[in-house]
Amino acid sequence: MPDAGGPLLPPAGPAAAVPGPAAFADVLGWLATHYNYAIYILLMMIGLYAVLAKGNLVKKVIGLNLLQTAVFLFYLSIGKIDGATAPVVWTDRPPGAEGVPYENPVPHVLMLTAIVVGVSVTAVALALVVRIREAYGTVDEGEILASDEAQEEAESARAEAQEAAADAAGARE
Amino acid sequence: MRSTDSLIVRYIARRSVPFIQLYALYVLGHGEDGPGGGFQGGVIFASSFVLLGLANGWGYGRRAAPARLLDPLLPLGCLIYLGIGLAALLAGGAFLEYGALAGSDDPEVRRHWHHYGLIGIEVGVMVTVSAAMATLFFEMARPARVQARVDRVGEEADRA
Repeated sequence: MPDAGGPLLPPAGPAAAVPGPAAFADVLGWLATHYNYAIYILLMMIGLYAVLAKGNLVKKVIGLNLLQTAVFLFYLSIGKIDGATAPVVWTDRPPGAEGVPYENPVPHVLMLTAIVVGVSVTAVALALVVRIREAYGTVDEGEILASDEAQEEAESARAEAQEAAADAAGARE
Repeated sequence: MRSTDSLIVRYIARRSVPFIQLYALYVLGHGEDGPGGGFQGGVIFASSFVLLGLANGWGYGRRAAPARLLDPLLPLGCLIYLGIGLAALLAGGAFLEYGALAGSDDPEVRRHWHHYGLIGIEVGVMVTVSAAMATLFFEMARPARVQARVDRVGEEADRA
């Protein structure tokens, strides 16, 4: 684990005011020691791409899960301190005692809840995909939209035909 | 919900179930001092039934995890959690103070009972979480024709 307990952003020195090669090197150096943030960005973009660009609904659900995982990683990275223990009361070395750092429990608890919520969302999403396949016979977004459009067109065509028939009947009278 | 047409997918999904469930118990057992526990183990356990439902059809999965089995399990897990907490209270400790269950002041014995109590509540969490996840999936994914049959039976019962 990199030293994520350090400052979250590179120190704003004189070089940061006018972005130059030195500031760029600062950012690169920060990213090299905080590579979990780079992984977080990469995972989130992969998940976003899957949600937006994939036609298969199951793949969209997988993309949603990747996106969630990225958020978990981001939050846990914020709470991580190198060499720290869990904030549990040990009888021999209490947390917060001299020389015993402990991790911030708030991101951990928050993400535990988020994991449970995320899994429930996945279960409901999969169930909806099952119902969609039952109704449309496919899990492809494009085919579902095309099927909806075809149905609408057929309905409007039927309504027009009925109108025309009514007009014709009116003209005869 | 139709099952998938592929025999291979259906067979592998069926044969994976015991391994997924064994892994769920492994995750449950490691919740005490590492990553894992009742939530994660319960979700992995429920995912085996979701896999059966997705690959082999709704009815196949629902027969493996029927409502008359899952519905009592939902409150049962909460009762296990509450029961262990109250048992510690009755044994003279604080609520959920597992060490008090030992009924002894020996710190070594109390430490053992702390582990037993922790695993006990994790089992309670796992029972409720896995039953809730499987119920959530199967109730949401219930096919229209099954729903129609349930409605008809309900109406007939109302008339009778």
